[in-house]
Amino acid sequence: MDVTTVTFIIVKWLVVFGLSMYCLFAVVIIRQEQLMTIVLEEAFEPVLRLAAIIHLVASIVIFFAAILLL
Amino acid sequence: MRPHRPLESAESSPSVSTIPDEKTHTIMSPLTAFAVSPEGIKFETQEKDEEVILFLRQHPIVLIPSVFLVLLLIAAPILIIPLFFGSLILPFEIPARYFGIGVAFWYVMTFGVALTSFLRWFFNIYIVTQRRIIDIDFLHLLYKEFSEARIDKVQDLSFKSGGIFAAFFDYGDVVVQTAGDTPNIDFTTVPKPARVVETISELITNKQ
Repeated sequence: MDVTTVTFIIVKWLVVFGLSMYCLFAVVIIRQEQLMTIVLEEAFEPVLRLAAIIHLVASIVIFFAAILLL
Repeated sequence: MRPHRPLESAESSPSVSTIPDEKTHTIMSPLTAFAVSPEGIKFETQEKDEEVILFLRQHPIVLIPSVFLVLLLIAAPILIIPLFFGSLILPFEIPARYFGIGVAFWYVMTFGVALTSFLRWFFNIYIVTQRRIIDIDFLHLLYKEFSEARIDKVQDLSFKSGGIFAAFFDYGDVVVQTAGDTPNIDFTTVPKPARVVETISELITNKQ
């Protein structure tokens, strides 16, 4: 293996690690949204929950895409 | 449903009341920042017969810096990638899939920034009931601050509103000073601060 290939392997796993941290952050947002809706019940709450779930799903998709494509 | 009448006694003296014209419930929208007797609102420590008389958030104008930040983040990959990577000289070529993953992550992160900014604004609320004044703040992720003052403990009410934007959009800060050890409650950047003060004053008079 040449230096460039090794560099890209290291970069790939650093990117994957960063994306896994971001997935954790997306989970925290969902938990935060749940806690907030306990404090305040509002009609718009399902839309916010959906947005938080879409954000988490997108983060997970990019995480797996990075593992597969990079 | 019968319209809620926040201050029944105020009807006998219409010159004193500030809210006789808004006896109906305010229908909430996602950007509602000032609501009189809002429909479909319940909060955590609400008692059975406790009614929400005023529901406040910060004026939506406070979201403008976040909107600009999000617009900047949306435009950044279009501007940064050609400028930065075009001038960068590397001994190897960066594969296109790295750019693809990078740009996709950038937009997910931008969505995350927009979502957290909106959540923080949406759940930073001030509630006035016939018994209490409540301030609920979500300062950071998973950090909540809940403060309340009984209406009969309120000693002084004041508001300040300064600047071109505050005058134009009618927003300001309301300070509720309370007796004893109860901490003061500050409503920051709320719409119609004069109306808020007048409504709380009426409630205090009603309570007495």
